[in-house]
Amino acid sequence: MKTPSFMTIVTALLLLGVATPADCKQKLIRIGYLQSDIHQLACWVALEKKLYRKNGVEVEVAGIFKAGPEEMSAFAAGALDVGYVGEAPATTAVANKAAEVTVLAQVNTEGSAIVVGKDSPVKEASGLAGKRVAIPGHSTVQDFLLKKALIKFNVDQKSVNVMVLKPPEMIGALKTGQIDAFIAWEPYPAKAQTMGVGRVLLTSHEIWENHPCCVLVASDRFLSERPQDARALVQAHVEATDFINEFPDEAVRIGVKYTGMDEPTVRLAMKNVTYTYVLSIDGEKEYVDFLSRMKYIQRMDSEAFVRKFINQGILGDVTKK
Amino acid sequence: MRWDRYILPLALILAWEGLSLIKVIPSNLLPSPAKILLGLKDLMVIGMPPGNLLPYHALYSLYRVALGFAFAALLGIPLGLLMGGSPRLRRIFNPVIELLRPIPPLAWIPIAILWFGIGMKSAAFIIFLGAFFPILLNTVSGVVSINPIYFEAARTLNAKPRHIFFKVLLPGAVPSIFVGTRIGVGIGWMTLVAAEFTGVKSGYGLGYMIMTARDIQRPDEILAGMLVIGLIGVLINSALRVCESRIVRWQ
Repeated sequence: MKTPSFMTIVTALLLLGVATPADCKQKLIRIGYLQSDIHQLACWVALEKKLYRKNGVEVEVAGIFKAGPEEMSAFAAGALDVGYVGEAPATTAVANKAAEVTVLAQVNTEGSAIVVGKDSPVKEASGLAGKRVAIPGHSTVQDFLLKKALIKFNVDQKSVNVMVLKPPEMIGALKTGQIDAFIAWEPYPAKAQTMGVGRVLLTSHEIWENHPCCVLVASDRFLSERPQDARALVQAHVEATDFINEFPDEAVRIGVKYTGMDEPTVRLAMKNVTYTYVLSIDGEKEYVDFLSRMKYIQRMDSEAFVRKFINQGILGDVTKK
Repeated sequence: MRWDRYILPLALILAWEGLSLIKVIPSNLLPSPAKILLGLKDLMVIGMPPGNLLPYHALYSLYRVALGFAFAALLGIPLGLLMGGSPRLRRIFNPVIELLRPIPPLAWIPIAILWFGIGMKSAAFIIFLGAFFPILLNTVSGVVSINPIYFEAARTLNAKPRHIFFKVLLPGAVPSIFVGTRIGVGIGWMTLVAAEFTGVKSGYGLGYMIMTARDIQRPDEILAGMLVIGLIGVLINSALRVCESRIVRWQ
């Protein structure tokens, strides 16, 4: 019998390669989001309503994270293609050259709150002086908002004892008196209220009106290799955001499923969040300036940074139609 | 001068720096040695988070370890001597110790936070757990391994129990106690960093510093922090060795 030539084998292998699931796998988009963060409801709506598939892309949830900086580390490791994440940690990671990502769309504005114990003597922001306040991590949106609140309400930053706790642990710590206050994304402030543990001292709306919060980011590599998939993803995100605003009751049900929290909590939480895909350029500039003032990132030209960091083209293209 | 011991580390560092320069090693995953040194400088001058300087992080961590270790030694050495001297006590205590010993100290973190809250006490408790068992078990084995002839000889000479304890049992066990102490501090130091990952109230601690550097996406400072932890570990070990050689001169 004649032995097959080298070329025959190579051709056969190539053909096999074309037909194997490796091809389908290559199409999967690896997505990440934050654990129980109601800001990122659009991601869960898109997953539940199969909006990604409808737009011709398949995603796999490649990571659920406890805070934004952890998600950015996953981007640095090349483990994610796209992600729902806070604007501050994404900015810090890119400015410090730890990860290469680009913002494709806004996810929400506002939606965080400073919570104190239900019977706390702290009645206004100035009362935070000398208190222990938990943040989800350094360079998170909430770290940023707390510092901004302290400045806005003339509280000496040095007098506030800031400590890092992951949001799922915050309510317990507040209840046992280990902290006097915390700032977290919804639904944790709402949960503290429905559990009867805490009350909202300040919403992030009162700290910085219409502040941009979470964004949809894509790794630069994914964006350059698969621009069509990125476009489909943004389309799905826009549809999911519209869905939340048009069918809030259905969105609540999805929120309940993904956060594991009760309906009253999720409803209360969503009241505090504005779901929008409209990008905020000025808001991002403010993040860059503030983060460099905090020495988290080096001083830089915020205009130039934002131009590169935010891709307005894809969203503009999607929403024009 | 025994310079040959430096050849391999130097060659590795040079290769690492070289591969980083030509971008074979991506700096966001592994910063070059030069970048790590600059990160160390930033930790000393700017701090992480900005304002919290490296020496204070190290001092807080050392304090936590000293506290946890002191309790482990105060409890572990006397109990170990008693257990070593009495087979009956060994039988009584062994089942509980054998059950608790294999539990990693880090598995205690949630319980430690529940019992002691977040901060100094729970970190010290985790370090205590890491240091206690090596100290205890090495003390016991130090006593058990003393040649019984020494005890018999002492008894034949009508030595009182007090004398047997101070002249035979304790000196015989000391070398092994030191081994346990060094292992205990070493494990305590390793657990400390992880214990601080879960949260500190003061805003200081080497583990907390590394986690913050991760939050702010500074791998150079993460590695600089790891380097500092390693160096302090080496210093502690050398200091204990010096003490050991002074105290156990007869060996």
